[in-house]
Amino acid sequence: MTLFNKSLLALSLSAGMLLSCAVKAESVAIINATVHTATEQGVLNQATVVFENGIISAINPQNMPFDRVVDANGATLTPGFIAAMNDMGLVEVGAVATSRDASDKEADIIFDPSLAFNPKATTIPFARKGGITRNIVTSGGGESVFAGETFVVDLTGDFDSVLATNTGLFVQLGAADEGSRAIGMQQLIHKLDDVKKGLFQDKKAKDKDDEVSREDTVIASVLAGKKPLIVAVDRASDILHVVNLKQKFDIDVVIVNGADAVLVAEQLAKANIPVVIDAMRNLPESFDALHNSLDNAAKLVKSGVKVAIALPGDSHGVYALRYSAGNAVANGMDYNDALAAITSNIADIFHLEGGRIAVGQPADLVLWSGDPFEYSSKVQMMWIAGDEQGLQSRQDALRDRYLKKTAMPAAYR
Amino acid sequence: MVKLTPSLVAVALCVALSGCNPAEQQDPQVVINTNPYPSTYHALPNVTTLLKNAIVLTGTGERIDDADLLIKDGKISAVGQQLSEESAVVIDAKGKWITPGIIDVHSHLGVYPSPNAESHNDGNEMTNPVTAEVWAEHSVWPQDPGFNRAREGGITTLQILPGSANLIGGRGVTLKNIPATTMQAMKFPQAPYGLKMACGENPKNLYGGRNELPMTRMGNMAGYRTAFIQASEYKRAWDKYNADYAAGKNPVAPERDLMKDTLKGVLEGDILIHNHCYKAEEMAMMIDLGKEFGYHAGTFHHAVEAYKVADLLAENGNCAAMWPDWWGFKLEAYDMVLENVAMVDAVKNSCAIVHSDSGVTIQRLNQETAKIMHAANDNGFEITEQHAIGWITSNAAKSLGISDKTGSLEVGKNADVVIWNSNPFSVYAQAEKVFIDGAKVFDRNDAAYQAQSDFMLGQQ
Repeated sequence: MTLFNKSLLALSLSAGMLLSCAVKAESVAIINATVHTATEQGVLNQATVVFENGIISAINPQNMPFDRVVDANGATLTPGFIAAMNDMGLVEVGAVATSRDASDKEADIIFDPSLAFNPKATTIPFARKGGITRNIVTSGGGESVFAGETFVVDLTGDFDSVLATNTGLFVQLGAADEGSRAIGMQQLIHKLDDVKKGLFQDKKAKDKDDEVSREDTVIASVLAGKKPLIVAVDRASDILHVVNLKQKFDIDVVIVNGADAVLVAEQLAKANIPVVIDAMRNLPESFDALHNSLDNAAKLVKSGVKVAIALPGDSHGVYALRYSAGNAVANGMDYNDALAAITSNIADIFHLEGGRIAVGQPADLVLWSGDPFEYSSKVQMMWIAGDEQGLQSRQDALRDRYLKKTAMPAAYR
Repeated sequence: MVKLTPSLVAVALCVALSGCNPAEQQDPQVVINTNPYPSTYHALPNVTTLLKNAIVLTGTGERIDDADLLIKDGKISAVGQQLSEESAVVIDAKGKWITPGIIDVHSHLGVYPSPNAESHNDGNEMTNPVTAEVWAEHSVWPQDPGFNRAREGGITTLQILPGSANLIGGRGVTLKNIPATTMQAMKFPQAPYGLKMACGENPKNLYGGRNELPMTRMGNMAGYRTAFIQASEYKRAWDKYNADYAAGKNPVAPERDLMKDTLKGVLEGDILIHNHCYKAEEMAMMIDLGKEFGYHAGTFHHAVEAYKVADLLAENGNCAAMWPDWWGFKLEAYDMVLENVAMVDAVKNSCAIVHSDSGVTIQRLNQETAKIMHAANDNGFEITEQHAIGWITSNAAKSLGISDKTGSLEVGKNADVVIWNSNPFSVYAQAEKVFIDGAKVFDRNDAAYQAQSDFMLGQQ
């Protein structure tokens, strides 16, 4: 173990130098790794993973010269974890209005929160410490049931870390603080209906010079299957309406939260609708969420539903995603399913690359000191698109400052 | 009887003392009942139980391997190796871990229960910055399903506090985590009351928003000081009344004031302070505030910056109750470090606690502790499981003033015990059996010991 640390240290140092030169073209081989591929290949022991130009170029190659070798000494290598449905980079401090851009009263179908994204948010390096390399950022919405569009970022913290914008339309349905939930559902159904009719008419009368509204363009791309309709909803009766929508309009639908999803798991599996859940949710938080349970993730998988695990909402605690997966395992989920739930499944559900260790995939890789779901493990090394990442956050700087004892005040340390 | 005894003493004193006027007719002495809503708690049915062959973390810093634990008459009767007791029900706990029952010093179960509904939002009396007159116990809904979930996570004792909207939010109550239909049936016998106070953003934002004091942190301090000045006068009036009465006079009792009754209890050391206070500089001022009025500043909750003043806390005998990783929701919670608890703990005479303030994480205080232990050990600390368990057992009991009764597996203590299916600091560990006062209150493998709230019954 000591040897391992030393070799990692040496390698990190050289990586640091390389990083500063930004030599992306070099080929790197991680050897002697226990590779959790999050693919049908399962776990590969004593494996070699090679990447160059930010892409995984080979697994267990016969012969190949490498610019650099990282000896994992048997340690676990996983795909970078992918977080989703949180406001990372949109909120620095929840209660400081001027540092908060996740929600807006006027947020609606065309709300594009990616314009507010700050790659220098302190939440990002902290989340990296949890092995997270990508994130599907989501707004908190506003007064409308339509909460704007999701976007995808990597966690490099670089100014070019927004990978894709307008990737999915987020809708929040269910219990209403005032009035009836029916109105929200109705608005969604009508919007899909109206735009679909409009599209049909447009085809018939091509010379019509009415411009399609920005809103309708978004809905049209959902109807065309170009982006998912991401629906936060809990109660079974509401979920079934969404299942019907999928069937009626033949659209790509993702259920988020889904406290009652276990009650309608069969319908969800049949309609091929995935569920993104918070696996730690087990309180009957509301009358919409009486069926929250720690074993919901396991139950949904057993029913044939594609499951991803997320920590929806605030982004300050997203680093703990891996512990959610661990708890899902403790409550009956298969280990590989739990790993898929924060890697390949989430990538599939939101149509992004990554989440797998396979040739051609982005080299988003994390080398762990042990079982990635355990508290006793930590990230040893991390790469995002082949670039090695720093693992220090503002929290580490504060800790180190106050662990030192000097005659002068802490501010000088 | 309570009323009679002091007056008899007073009369006897009078007879003995010269210069006393025995002719003065005394009205019955007015005595404030300090326990008007007494505990009706009884341990659930229990039998003599012998747990065998486990790894035992005592809560006092010890780890004993291949250990047995004997529970008799609701108490820890023996801890050690190769124990035997003929009459005992024997549970083979080989490969399992045993810890004291987990204690959460900061919960709002019952006062902010599930489901979240206006009808049950009874945790914050947001009508005045000082509401020392309200008692959280009067808001507790014992059917909160969260109590059952917490028990399944090993929670045997918990303090229910009012929220943090007010400078002085009211009394907290310590409960035994048994299913019951009344608050009194859960109330921890002889546990002292707590008083919830709050520093920082919450009170000043709420009342400032209404153009009332406090609008600032200096307004916060003025608010506490004004309240304790009033309480000091009130206490003085009662002390004088009691002294005069004892001297055989027939004084007029001061007018009762519910708010000041509680603060007087603080000044007399009967009610312990539980202070929502994130920031280093505010904790330092709250310690001085206690000194100004002659009470102890107690436990700082949500003490995100406690690591910056760890020495000060230890010197003054203050506990700090902390989360491992909550941060960024307010500016006062910006300077979180994962090792906070360990850094507070590292100082001599410290009292570091892990708390939840959450119906979710209260179910996994063992895992919350694991986060800290491992983060700290990655950064130069050498914290063992047997030490870390104290953050959610013995130190928590100390904070609540019940360490003579629970919080460790010492002979004579209440048999509040958790059997874990594996190392409790693993993400995969689950509480398998939970005992409160020797009674089995949860068994993961036996539906007969899995309590459900009335609320959940018949829900489809």
